Amino acid sequence: MEIFGQPGFAVLQGLITGVLTGGIYALIALGIVIINKASGVFNFAHGFMMLLGALIFWTFFQNQQLAPVVAFVLSGGLLTILSVGIRYPATWTRNGRVAFIAAAWAVIGFILLQTDNLFLRALVGTAIGAALVGLVIERLAIRPLISQPLFTAVMMTLVVGEVLLGVTQLTWGSVDRSLPIFATVNALGLPQPYPPIRIRNVLGGTVVIKTELLIAFGIALVAFVGFVLFFRYTRLGLAMRATAENPDLAQAVGLRVRAVLAVAWAIASMLAALAATLHASSTSLSITMPALALRVFPAVLLGGIESVGGAFIGGLVIGIAEKVGTVYFGSDVGEQLIPFVVLMIILVVRPSGLFGEERIERV
Amino acid sequence: MSANIRPSGVFDTSYAQEMRINRTRFDQVLSAGFLGVILALPLLARTGPFGIDIVQPGFLGTVERIAIFMIAVQGLNLLVGYTGQITLGQAAFMAVGAYSTAILLRGGVPFVLAPPIAALFSGFVGLIFGLPSLRVKGFYLAMATLAAQFIIPWLLRNPLAPWTNGANPLPVPRADLLGLEISGLTLYYFLIIMCLLAMLAARNIIRTRTGRAFVSIRDNDVAAELLGINVFAYKLRAFFICAVYAGLAGGLLAIEARSISPDRFDLRNSIELLAMLIVGGAGFSQAPIFGVSLLALLRETLIPSLTPSLQEWLPRLLPFIDAVNINAAIAPIIFGVLMIAFLIIEPRGLAYRWEIFKISWKIRPFSY
Repeated sequence: MEIFGQPGFAVLQGLITGVLTGGIYALIALGIVIINKASGVFNFAHGFMMLLGALIFWTFFQNQQLAPVVAFVLSGGLLTILSVGIRYPATWTRNGRVAFIAAAWAVIGFILLQTDNLFLRALVGTAIGAALVGLVIERLAIRPLISQPLFTAVMMTLVVGEVLLGVTQLTWGSVDRSLPIFATVNALGLPQPYPPIRIRNVLGGTVVIKTELLIAFGIALVAFVGFVLFFRYTRLGLAMRATAENPDLAQAVGLRVRAVLAVAWAIASMLAALAATLHASSTSLSITMPALALRVFPAVLLGGIESVGGAFIGGLVIGIAEKVGTVYFGSDVGEQLIPFVVLMIILVVRPSGLFGEERIERV
Repeated sequence: MSANIRPSGVFDTSYAQEMRINRTRFDQVLSAGFLGVILALPLLARTGPFGIDIVQPGFLGTVERIAIFMIAVQGLNLLVGYTGQITLGQAAFMAVGAYSTAILLRGGVPFVLAPPIAALFSGFVGLIFGLPSLRVKGFYLAMATLAAQFIIPWLLRNPLAPWTNGANPLPVPRADLLGLEISGLTLYYFLIIMCLLAMLAARNIIRTRTGRAFVSIRDNDVAAELLGINVFAYKLRAFFICAVYAGLAGGLLAIEARSISPDRFDLRNSIELLAMLIVGGAGFSQAPIFGVSLLALLRETLIPSLTPSLQEWLPRLLPFIDAVNINAAIAPIIFGVLMIAFLIIEPRGLAYRWEIFKISWKIRPFSY
């Protein structure tokens, strides 16, 4: 059976791979949307934050011996994050719960970094490292730009990307690496992943589903739902939504807006690291990772730049368009052209995206 | 972004004075002297007629590229600095100009015609990607031009590969202007003259009706529309002019480098052009002089001279760094950190600083 001149199973294959990749794209898009909602800045540096996060994960995952000093420094970093970030609403500071939670997390981080379980260690180390990256960017580059024109903010995220690229090149070089997470997941006590799932005799051929992609999609889905629930049901999430809605009003009711911004950057950076690690584990970890984030920008715009749900839909649509386009026109068209053609179409037809807010302008 | 900052008590007494390019005698002397130095540079090089070895021949190439990039940044200045539209696709428009010039020259089109035709063609491509400015602005427009930045190099790499040599370098034939071979010394003076003409043209565009319409769109586009300015038409005009400048710069780059490849025109080059504009001071007509000179000298002179010493002591200081990686990493780090500092400390750029400096010198010892 053929669909528009291509064998049906190949199209189905593209569709399935597209959906699975789209899950990771949605995670990347979510990070961009969070930053945009909180600080009104579209983060062009997201791809470089992804690269850095994945490389941090690789470092923790590969190196058997990490000096305790590094662990200590990172735990101290977590302590700082918590004392800067979660120290609101004001009641939290008064009863000293923050210090307790921070100390507890630092101890957990310290213990985990000491363990032999590479996977857990890498997870904790990356969470802390990525959050630190986000916080540093927010504090040094983004916060001084509050109330500056949009052009300055756009330029700032672009040059932050340059700095991050330089830092990653300086520390890790520009060689490709493999990140075989799922091959060593049994270190966690989980079974080895199964060989690729093959569905035979569908639409005249065999459809292969890579187990790595499937697991990555599952994790991405869980993380996405987790963050949506976090925004809906926790105080911090509520504060972030309030700040995004109206920073002045949020400040007036006593929310620490600057702290919320810092937390938003930390969370987005962790999301970037997670998405990058998942993507690197199903393909490879190369210096071209930032190009992936550029391909996700259309997904963000498609869903609407303020919409969390839209980020998910957008990610899936771009993933499917890319992979099905690859089936029809080859990978150079599918991956390098189609996302940007989609972008142009969105901008001309419906600039605010599917679920974004329409803007009304007054003189 | 007011380009016209003056201390109290300084004003024009006639229309001719207001319209003058160099308003004061000091400005005249300064710009004439600057131009004189630039024109004298190749005569002082070892390759020059007198055989005096003061200026490194490599430095002349740097000056040539500064002149070329000044044209591209001046176009960007008209679009970003004066009209207030963000574009991330300037390098792609340069690519259009460069490749059309190269293809025209290879096809035997005379040198007098090739760069202008290429620039016009690039302008029309710019119009196509300026079309979204009808509906979107600000950051969304940046995204639309980002799409241009990916679609154009893709076209050059894949479907147009029979003409552009794909991802491989495309050689450009030696140029020949009315029997005069354009290379070495003549190339240098040719580029300086082209740059000068482009600067003068931009300066004149700014003080016409079109230029004033650009500024009003930048300051408040809704108000500009209420004043009877056809905002969309003027935005398109700005895109066209910007892309023409970019195409001209790209064509000259092709002639200067004698070989072009798509990776000279990627997103990072667009970012660098924007950075040059910001360092120079968007919305000032002198912006390209300051911005391009600073960043090009940084990239071509300062960073290569820093690299060997960094390669020696940085790995000793931070043991996890491999000396091999420093070469590729040092340029983005220095560039990025410099730009972050600029955006925080002086987002209005060096041209603004220079105006402030001139004013405080003029009214010394008082503060205003």
